[in-house]
Amino acid sequence: MGSPKNSNPSNNQKNLNQSFSDDFEKNLSLIKDAFSYPTNQSLKIRNLTILSGAKNGVLLFLEGTVDTKAIEETIIGPLIKITDIPEDGDIMSIIEENIVFTTGTKQVEKLQDAVKDLLGGNTLILFEGEHVALSAVTTGFENRGVSEPTVENVVRGPKESFNESMAVNQSLIRKQINDNRLLCETKTVGNKVVKEVSIIYIKGVVDEELLNDVKKKIDEIESDLIQNLSILEQYIESRTFSVVPSTLLTERPDRACSFLLDGHIVLLMNSSPYALIVPVTFWNLFHTIEDQYLRWVYANFIRIISLISIFIAMYTPAIYLAVSTFHIEMLPPDLLFAIAATREVVPIPVLWEIILLEIVFEILREAGIRIPSVIGPTIGIVGALILGQAAVQANLVSPILVIVVAITGLSSFVIQDLNLNFMIRLLRFGFIFIANFMGFFGIFLATACLFAYMVSLKSFNVPFLAPYAPYFQSPKGLILRPPVWKQALFPFYSNSENEKRGNTSKAGSTDD
Amino acid sequence: MKRLKLFFLLFPISLILVGCWDKSELEERGYVIVIGIDKSKKDHMIDVTFQVENPQVGSSSLATAPNEPPSDILTITATDILSAKELANSIVSRKIDLSQVETIIIGEAFAKSDYFHHIIASSTRDPEIRRRIIMIVSKENAREFINNNHSKLETRPHKYYSFMSDRWKDTGFVPISDLNRYFQRSSGALFLAIYATSERDERYRESSDNYKAGQVPQKEGDPVQMIGSAVLKNGKMIGVLTGEETRNSLLLREKSKTHHYIDTFIDPKMEGHRISARVGKEEHSKVKINVKTEPPEVFVTVPLKVQVLSIPSQIDYASNEKNQALLKGEIKKDLEEKISSLIKKTQKEFGAEPFVWYEEARREFWTMDEFIKYDWQKKYRDADVKVDFEITIESFGSQLKPQKTGRGD
Repeated sequence: MGSPKNSNPSNNQKNLNQSFSDDFEKNLSLIKDAFSYPTNQSLKIRNLTILSGAKNGVLLFLEGTVDTKAIEETIIGPLIKITDIPEDGDIMSIIEENIVFTTGTKQVEKLQDAVKDLLGGNTLILFEGEHVALSAVTTGFENRGVSEPTVENVVRGPKESFNESMAVNQSLIRKQINDNRLLCETKTVGNKVVKEVSIIYIKGVVDEELLNDVKKKIDEIESDLIQNLSILEQYIESRTFSVVPSTLLTERPDRACSFLLDGHIVLLMNSSPYALIVPVTFWNLFHTIEDQYLRWVYANFIRIISLISIFIAMYTPAIYLAVSTFHIEMLPPDLLFAIAATREVVPIPVLWEIILLEIVFEILREAGIRIPSVIGPTIGIVGALILGQAAVQANLVSPILVIVVAITGLSSFVIQDLNLNFMIRLLRFGFIFIANFMGFFGIFLATACLFAYMVSLKSFNVPFLAPYAPYFQSPKGLILRPPVWKQALFPFYSNSENEKRGNTSKAGSTDD
Repeated sequence: MKRLKLFFLLFPISLILVGCWDKSELEERGYVIVIGIDKSKKDHMIDVTFQVENPQVGSSSLATAPNEPPSDILTITATDILSAKELANSIVSRKIDLSQVETIIIGEAFAKSDYFHHIIASSTRDPEIRRRIIMIVSKENAREFINNNHSKLETRPHKYYSFMSDRWKDTGFVPISDLNRYFQRSSGALFLAIYATSERDERYRESSDNYKAGQVPQKEGDPVQMIGSAVLKNGKMIGVLTGEETRNSLLLREKSKTHHYIDTFIDPKMEGHRISARVGKEEHSKVKINVKTEPPEVFVTVPLKVQVLSIPSQIDYASNEKNQALLKGEIKKDLEEKISSLIKKTQKEFGAEPFVWYEEARREFWTMDEFIKYDWQKKYRDADVKVDFEITIESFGSQLKPQKTGRGD
């Protein structure tokens, strides 16, 4: 599935501005030079004659970018069968319009365009005495099939996920939103290696200002190569050094679609098995798509559980630290004595005990991702059983702390969004430090600071904690969701045109 | 960017400024579970006994300290509790921590002394002393009491006290007395504190639970008996109520915390036999006080639910409504007799009421000044008290035939 066409030697770039001429050999050598043929064996050249040997031609394509069977059946086959053409006719136009069967054809005059088309998987047809080349779409990159999501799993819901092909990803979205207002604009990024970014939105729902903002940000990128969406994300996000994310990547087409319907913008790129969603609020990161698929009662139960999990993942070690060093009177005596009894033989202070175990847990987690999947299960057993049990027996940590760190770790897995997950995990260390110095007072202080910061944060001009703070009229269901048939409003950041019309409720198509 | 770097550099310094004040790891502390206070031989000095629990005994299977006792008991003579705590730090290897104190034991001799109230009141200025600490008055010295009190079932002392306080709620033999209630009722009204002892002075009373602590006939078992209540008035102990008197005074309170207890009554159909029944007060007692008359009139209605448990005389009460009426009358008579002697005792002997009736009387006045001027506790001594029991027999236990319990009559 690689893209060998990217290996375009830079010393050939300067000649790219030339145009094709009537000289067939020269035209051919221009292309050969551009691809450093014959050193570069990726360029395939097939000679052919048409009109019963009356006219020589050549077929060029890059190996690995084309569907060879399509070339055989839709280009070579029909071309060879041509026996006569009208005397006065332009041969290229006739071939383009009547003979080649491919879905897209065009005439190219410039070498630059020819090279770009070849890189994109087109087949180039040159004929003697013609100053234009014919470019036919025969794209056939190697591609993985549509498979099940690996990160954003759901119990109930579609089991498709995006793959590395932008075309496939667009089709997955189109499949769910059959609407002529679903627009798909293409922009290019990268100065040397040009990559396409597909900007998808629903016209009339999306806010025009937001759309222009996103386009402007993409245009402003000055980079030789934007490899994929993950890199693009880092170019267009709001605050690079912030712990709080301002974009969202999802691998689920259905999730991307629900964002589209809410007026978000979806960005797609090749070789990125996910869609980039802008703008996002905290609530977008917090919600999972399954919240909507489950029945009202169950969905809200899940919401409450995930909210609790966020708090546990963020605060538990800090609270344990604060309680055990500053607020001992909060503990019931049984628990207090059990902790004190096992802490008595631990040589390190509780702060370092927590940090030690937290870091070990993060190492385990990272190891779990990096480890070859063949030996993956082993590390789980080693990590969980041996390390935890042995550390307690060696009096390195107290057993209660193993529980604290384990419940913290487990809760952090409930947070599905990777960005939010990292945010929570990093903030946890901040809370641990402040709790060590100032106890509960510090935890509350840090929480207040965190909220103040999050309120000030904006993702593409949408406040991060909106529509709660600042308050906007928007669909309810940020923490608990109403039944689906009551979610009639579009979010506040969507189409501002409706607002101008004085349509206060912004009642939209989501109502049954 | 530069500003951000500067912030990350300077922010940790501000953390150093807080200095970790009052921070200490929990295993470095010695947790006092019980405080005992006695009168010292020296004037204006008190003997403070601390029972410091050893966390390593009995708390966790991972903790190993096989030869250590479950707690360490030491007595310090000092001017007040907090200075005794400071002195104890020079003896105990850990920093003494009073935040887990559940119980405070007062020796009877100290409770009867004048400066008992001052010592208790001043100690609560320390935030570590909680107001929900349970107050127990011991017949002997608190030091002896704590040293003798080693429960066979509970190795860890805090567990003993927390289980015992759960039992009290069921039996009603002792009042629930904590420091907070003590301060609420220290002016004028009688405050009932739990009365306990590890000494023995056995008595045999077959007709009632009229025991004080130490009088319950007991062989073997735990050394401490907790029954009855110490009566405190204006921060000074003035007498003792037996277990039954304590329970009856709880019944007369409007919102008593006692739910069920088991009592025996004379079988009205057969002399010499007794019927045992579970008596419960599920609704609040109704207290009505008329302060317009001289002396004031008090009307109390106590709704009681009775479940008959055993009838050794084998007389049919379950299906005979006439017999049931007799039984009801007997229960009523029995309770009324006991109550009236209790009220007489409080009026004549103590000169105040422990029934929290002052709250009801206070409602009859527009201003606090008027109420204070009226001096309810003094007026109570001559008050005309009428107590009525509304008895409902709920059931007679398991029966072969459906029982006839005329409910609500």
